[in-house]
Amino acid sequence: MTQDQFTTEFEAFRAQLKSYLLRITTSVPDTEDILQDTYIRASEKLSTFRGESSLKTWVFAIGSNLARDLLRAQKRWPENVTDICKEAALNNREFFQESMQIRATSQHGNFEIREHVAFCFTCVSKSLPLEQQLTLLLKEVYHFKVKEIAEIMEQTEAMVKYYLHTGRSKMIEIFDRRCSLINKEGICHQCTELNGIYNPKQDQQTELAKVQMARDAETGNKEHLFDLRMKILEELDPFSSGASELQLHHLEHNRQVMEKHLEKN
Amino acid sequence: MTTTSTLAQTGNAQTEKERFAQQTSVSIEINADAAIVWTLLTQAQDIPRWNSTIVSLEGNIAVGDKIKLVSYLDPKRTFKIKVKEMEAEKHMLWGDNQGKRTFTLTPTEKGVTFSMVERMGGLMYPMYKKYLPDFDESFNKFAADLKKEAELIANAQ
Repeated sequence: MTQDQFTTEFEAFRAQLKSYLLRITTSVPDTEDILQDTYIRASEKLSTFRGESSLKTWVFAIGSNLARDLLRAQKRWPENVTDICKEAALNNREFFQESMQIRATSQHGNFEIREHVAFCFTCVSKSLPLEQQLTLLLKEVYHFKVKEIAEIMEQTEAMVKYYLHTGRSKMIEIFDRRCSLINKEGICHQCTELNGIYNPKQDQQTELAKVQMARDAETGNKEHLFDLRMKILEELDPFSSGASELQLHHLEHNRQVMEKHLEKN
Repeated sequence: MTTTSTLAQTGNAQTEKERFAQQTSVSIEINADAAIVWTLLTQAQDIPRWNSTIVSLEGNIAVGDKIKLVSYLDPKRTFKIKVKEMEAEKHMLWGDNQGKRTFTLTPTEKGVTFSMVERMGGLMYPMYKKYLPDFDESFNKFAADLKKEAELIANAQ
């Protein structure tokens, strides 16, 4: 493969790789650094690429390794991350002023419930062990096959299946317990609360009806509802969606709050 | 006393009692890779999710470490158990003052045979044996839960 061919193919899945890295690191600078390092390393090692897997799998393996190197020493987030960050946000006037400024002026400053659902998953999934989080994203959002994930993660297919099953089970249990979009008893209402703040003139029920996961909540089919949650992530590019600037601002806030929280705890 | 080789392969637990000891054993065929079964048995934090006999399990399952286990058999009591031996995907031994529990995985054509044996006893055994609950049902559930979870994972696409 020539360098030009590599660059062309890389560009075809670059946005997917970038969103994957963001969802792992929750940091735009880290994402951009790893993305660049992945490109450079893959270019340097291009002569060793034998085509035994797809180029995309091979490059995701390089990117995943770089991300794991960065994250291995970091503590994982608690599953109630959004509660902790909400508390911090309520005491941070500057954060809300910046958010409202983005909402008022940016072309990517919309607030949509489904965008917040994706943001929320990114935060909560960091409560999973790192291997489980990566495996889950690779399978459910980026649709790699188990065999490909085993190559990316340098694990056996059996272990990949274990990580997938446990990661998925834990996320289903957490969202079933917490998310009021799918469970009337759910304790977290942040997406609708924020929608009330950012879009005060909108009818909440009309907005909720736009989210299939909320429409299908009454089926009570947890697996189906989780699949719909994953579909939202699959369909959204956190760097270019209509709410990207606002959600990235929220993500950076949560990352900083978590950094301080984990230092203390 | 029952030995592993003569255990029922169907998940039907048996308890045999002697004057100073008792031994409960169960064995079951699991159609899953040994790595999956081993991981399920050794990821302490995940065990209460799939194992209906365990209320909670704290600590790491690693040789020399102590774990704190609460079982539905006696949920008010916390068992402090030492992990004494581990040979990945083959064998594990837990123990405390009253007894020891051995987990064994034996390769088969379709996966593994899982065996679990708990031996309790000593000079004080005659004094406390009447307070011991029946272990058979709990062993059956443990084996059945492990089989169900491991095969669910193994059959995922």
